[in-house]
Amino acid sequence: MHSNDAQMLVLTVLADGPLHGYAINTAIEELTGSRLGPGSLYGALSRLEARELIRPADETAEAQERHRTMQITDTGRDQLRVELQQMARISAVGLRALGIAPA
Amino acid sequence: MSAATLLTRLYPPAVRERWGEDIGHEVSASGIRSWPDALAGAARLWLHPADWPETFTGQTRRVLTVALFALTAVTGLLLRSAEPSAAVTAGFRHPATSLWLVPLLFGIGLAAPLPPLSGEALRRVTAAAVRTLAAPATAVAAMCLTAWSGIAEHLTGLADAAMVLYYWLTLGFVAFRLCTLVAHIARTAALPTTRRLSTALLYVGTGLALAASQNLLAAVGTAPRPGPLSESLALGLLAATAISTGRDLRRTRA
Repeated sequence: MHSNDAQMLVLTVLADGPLHGYAINTAIEELTGSRLGPGSLYGALSRLEARELIRPADETAEAQERHRTMQITDTGRDQLRVELQQMARISAVGLRALGIAPA
Repeated sequence: MSAATLLTRLYPPAVRERWGEDIGHEVSASGIRSWPDALAGAARLWLHPADWPETFTGQTRRVLTVALFALTAVTGLLLRSAEPSAAVTAGFRHPATSLWLVPLLFGIGLAAPLPPLSGEALRRVTAAAVRTLAAPATAVAAMCLTAWSGIAEHLTGLADAAMVLYYWLTLGFVAFRLCTLVAHIARTAALPTTRRLSTALLYVGTGLALAASQNLLAAVGTAPRPGPLSESLALGLLAATAISTGRDLRRTRA
C-alpha cells in the first residue's frame, strides 16, 4: 500500500478517537479487510507525528512509554477533511462517468 | 535472536525506542509475510530522518553523524573489495581521478563532531580512542607481519581461504571500531547543526556520485565487465542514499 494511503487510513481511524498502534491496525483491518504491514503502519505513524497531524494522547513520559496511544490533532482533522472532500469529488466524477449515481 | 527482534533492530534508534515493541509484536503476529514490508519500512525511515521522533535533543544529529561515517567506511570497503579501479585512484600523483575525494572529505570535515577544547575532554577522547582502536590495531599489525613474513604467498586451499577471510574480517573490524569511536565522541562532543549535517551529506553524496560516474565512464571505453559496473552501481546507490537523506534532513525543524 502506498505510504500516503497508509497515512490517510491512520488519520481516518484516529478521527474516531485515540488508539494505540495495534488497535489502529485492527481498526484499519475492520475498515479495509486487511492489516497494514508493520513498516507501512509505523512509518505512517512516524511521518504523521513529525508533521504534527497526530500526537501522543497522554503527554507524560511514563504513559508514552507504556501505551503509546496516539490521537489526531486539529491540524490532522483539517488535513483529513480536505483529503476526504477531494476524494469525494473525484469519486463523484468517476461514478458519473461510469453512469452510476453516487450514493 | 528471533526474526521480529532482528527486523526491529534495523529501524533507526528513535523509531525503535518509540515503536520497537509494537513493531516486534506486529511482525511476530503477522509472520513471514510481513517481513518484506517491515524491511522496506526500515529502509524508508532511514532515508527520511526528518520523520524520526527524537527521544532526546540532538538524537537525530548524533545518529546521522555516525551513519555518515559508516557510509564512508562502507565505501572504503567497497572500493577495496573490487579490483582498485584506475578511474577512482586517489593520490597527489592522480589529481584528475582524485576529484571525487574532494567533496567527500569536505563533507566528512563538516560532519565531524568536535570534542570540547579542554585538557580533560581531550584526555578522555584519547583514552577512548586507545581503548577502542587497540584491538583492531593489533589485528592489522598481525596481518601486516603475516604478509611481510611471506607465509601468505605459499598458502593454498583452506589455509589460503582462511587468510583471505582474516583479511576481510580485519578490515570490517577496523571500520566497525572507527564508527564506534565516532559514536563515543559524538556523545560528549559538539555535534554539527542540522543544516551543516545536511550539507555534509550532500557533499558526501556528490563525491560518491562523482566516483560512480568516473568509474562508469572508464568502463564504457572498455569491454563491459561485471566488476566495474557493479562497483559503479553500488557507489551510485550509496550516493543516492546520502543525497536523499541530506535533502530530507533539510525538512527538519532546526
